[in-house]
Amino acid sequence: MARIRFEGVGKRYPNGFVALEGLDLDIRDREFLVLLGPSGCGKSTTLNMIAGLEEVSEGSLYFDDELMNPVPPHRRDVAMVFQSYALYPHKSVYENIAFGLRMRNHPRAEIDRRVREAARKLEIEPLLERRPNQLSGGQRQRVALGRAMVRQPAVFLMDEPLSNLDAALRISMRAEIKQLHQTMATTFVYVTHDQAEALTLADRIVVMKDGVVQQTGTPDEIYEQPRNSFVASFLGNPPINYLDGTLEGDGAGVSFRRGGLRLALPSRAAQRVAGQAGREVTLGVRAEDVDEHGSPREGETVHGRVTSVLPVGSDQFLGVEVEGRPLFFRVGKEMQHRDGDNVALVVNVNRLHLFDRKDGRSLVW
Amino acid sequence: MLFLAPMLVVLSVVAVFPVVYSFWISLFDLRLTRPRSVPFVWFDNYAQVFADPLFWTSVARTATFTVMAVAAIMVIATLMALLLNEEFRGRRILSAVLLVPWAIPYVADGLMWKWIYDSGYGALNGLLYQLDFIDKYMVWLGDTRKTLALIANAFVWKEVPLATILLLVTMKSIPADLYGAAKVDGANVWQRFVHVTLPALRPGFMLVMIYETMMAVRHFDLFFILTEGGPANASHVLAWDVYVETFRKLSFGTGAALAYLIALITFLLAFSIIRTMGKKL
Amino acid sequence: MTPRAARIGRNLLLLAASLLFLGYVLAPVAWLVSSSFQSESEITSKPPHWIPHQPTLKNFEAIFGAGERDVTYETRRKADPSSGGFIPSTAKNLLPAMWNSFIVAISVVVLNLLVSVPAAYAMAKIRFIGRQTSIYAMLVTRVIPDIALVVPFFLFIRKLGLLDHVGSLIITYLAITIPFSVFILVGYFESLPDELDKAARVDGCSRLQALLRVFLPLALPSLVAMILFAFLTSWNEFLLALMFTQTPASQTMPIVVASFTSDFTISFSFINAAGVLAVVPPVILAIVFERYIVSGLTAGAVKG
Repeated sequence: MARIRFEGVGKRYPNGFVALEGLDLDIRDREFLVLLGPSGCGKSTTLNMIAGLEEVSEGSLYFDDELMNPVPPHRRDVAMVFQSYALYPHKSVYENIAFGLRMRNHPRAEIDRRVREAARKLEIEPLLERRPNQLSGGQRQRVALGRAMVRQPAVFLMDEPLSNLDAALRISMRAEIKQLHQTMATTFVYVTHDQAEALTLADRIVVMKDGVVQQTGTPDEIYEQPRNSFVASFLGNPPINYLDGTLEGDGAGVSFRRGGLRLALPSRAAQRVAGQAGREVTLGVRAEDVDEHGSPREGETVHGRVTSVLPVGSDQFLGVEVEGRPLFFRVGKEMQHRDGDNVALVVNVNRLHLFDRKDGRSLVW
Repeated sequence: MLFLAPMLVVLSVVAVFPVVYSFWISLFDLRLTRPRSVPFVWFDNYAQVFADPLFWTSVARTATFTVMAVAAIMVIATLMALLLNEEFRGRRILSAVLLVPWAIPYVADGLMWKWIYDSGYGALNGLLYQLDFIDKYMVWLGDTRKTLALIANAFVWKEVPLATILLLVTMKSIPADLYGAAKVDGANVWQRFVHVTLPALRPGFMLVMIYETMMAVRHFDLFFILTEGGPANASHVLAWDVYVETFRKLSFGTGAALAYLIALITFLLAFSIIRTMGKKL
Repeated sequence: MTPRAARIGRNLLLLAASLLFLGYVLAPVAWLVSSSFQSESEITSKPPHWIPHQPTLKNFEAIFGAGERDVTYETRRKADPSSGGFIPSTAKNLLPAMWNSFIVAISVVVLNLLVSVPAAYAMAKIRFIGRQTSIYAMLVTRVIPDIALVVPFFLFIRKLGLLDHVGSLIITYLAITIPFSVFILVGYFESLPDELDKAARVDGCSRLQALLRVFLPLALPSLVAMILFAFLTSWNEFLLALMFTQTPASQTMPIVVASFTSDFTISFSFINAAGVLAVVPPVILAIVFERYIVSGLTAGAVKG
């Protein structure tokens, strides 16, 4: 049980590289927090600092009210699951799981009880005497989870634990990890670059880039109300479409203009940018925010030519060239389109995003 | 973290200090026969070495020895590696046996060959005589025209295993697909060797060449055991020169200077091998 | 060519090549061994007896019994040449020299382990300032020929008062073997994923425990190779031993054996027996641990 607080934490390497800058973050007890970002964004550094594997070069890190900066990893009550699983190749599965408890001098019977209990939960009991190199990827993953579970730690850390698994297994393991969080009732910090994983697992997501936090919030907040174009483009599949254009003021409000395309802005955005006609902006349209069935209305429709049709089972991805820009939309399967068709798609203007062209700041949220 | 500090200190003292100290000594006129006066003489020792004609003949002999030895090592090791790269029964035995020359001391290598080369009762004479190549026993090591080659032979015999192992690893790293592709392209065994094996072996060749050149240039043990620099200075190579200067004439300054020159030559050779062979990689 | 003929052709070729291979590698040693079992009179026959006609252990008896016999210039002249009696006055030094060699080699192995293992772990897994430099410096020291180190070593050893003492050899052999050991181990430790180190420390290991309980067991093959290299280097080394040892108190096997070869009056059968004794321990080690040695050699080479 632990609350983790970062206060102005930074990480600077001797060669001058800054991995993390001015991190303020309050991870609540029993929260499932996901650190999301591209590689090199500082998410793993953050995780390693919680584990004690990297020194905090600026600022303070607290578990509850205890300053953790000088505490080495073996004196912290944390357990960790690694991307490569990092199982000890020379130890059996049993010994791999038991090792952390042995190092902390738990009684033999207690260790045995916990190892077997974890093995039963993870359904790896028949594998206990095997060596890691005799296991499949999914089995290793379970052993790595088991090794962390038996510790019953105050903080449970996971560094891209699913990225070495195949797609199907990844989906089912997500559910198990979520389950695990509920039964263990402890603080989880989870690092990933996979937005889908973050959206399914997290109570809260922290989106990072170049060592700086971009946005912190619930999955819904992050997805629906991205603060900048980086956050918007990092979540969603296919990624959000961007169109550069200018603001245009008219009688009723403000709209977006690019060549022959004009889209009315949602009222919230219109208020924020009122009277800024001519400002250069970037419009963001999520792939799923179009509809083919609605009746085309002025200011809510994009016209374009189909350049590709990719069926993805339940629905299809449509590549459409709009005003010289290739855009991707997700539409229902029932519409039959072929390359070269002209289409008119109705945009859900209330879900449009608008960003400053230069710094990428959201002009809506 | 702290338990590592003393190790690193020991390491640097033991490994780095002598290298620097050696250069420092080479700037002094240090003679054990005259221990009281040790003047600092800048590069006089080096000048003295260069002025000695024996130094230049030593350089030439070292070069001859090195070229002969390295060339032979490359050829024999390549052939042996090609053999060991094949799959056949008994291959394991061959690769175990291969380590025998590598493992034994140079002293034993030397006395073994000295006995084989012996002019009175040696195996070389006996064998050639029995095969009717010679009609009477001959002088081998004592013949100034043969000395270097015979010492080189003893050197090659002991160095070949390591070279073979290094080349074999390089061979094993050639992807089998490459041979498959060459076969599909219609290449026969010889063409596959020339167009696939040899080019892929280049890094291995380079490594072996650098390493064995370094070993040959600095080699001392066999010269001591087989000929002591003789006969008539026929095997007076650089390493032997260092020994004579230092421990027979007890002139440590010039000895150190000479030794440093050997180090320098080694560096230059390694560097030029990398430059010429590395470019084609 | 039918496949069958091709296969037979290939096998014949391989057989011929294998025989050449064995002949080249083993014939000289075989001859050394064979002549060590011949008496002086047999060994001097022309042409030589490739296989002893009357195998004898006299040469080995002479070595193992050398301590009890008082060999002087006079007595050895009187000895019977046909029974391998030309025993050098230094014969009795051989066994003590082998013992010295053994002591030196074992000490070097142990001390080498104590220094190189932690140093290699530090270089592989701990980022510290000067890390690159120290790895580089170590490489350079191995490119400098031993012969260039003789003088500084000599002066250093003399200052320590260790001339003609096995300690001098232990120190200098450490200097020679440690860089190579560290080199092999650094390569191995670096090949082990960083996450393993992290996992161990999150599991509750201190740095030292992570090294002892996770890394060392995994590095066992490299350690074996390292131990063998250190042992063989110490057992075989000649140049430095020649410089630093003067009396039987500290002389090692190669020095004593070399002293035999430079004495023209000594019987070849005796020298050959001494040679066989010098060769036996390294050859046994090499054959028994062949796999480790080959992997160690190649690991060292690939990195270099």
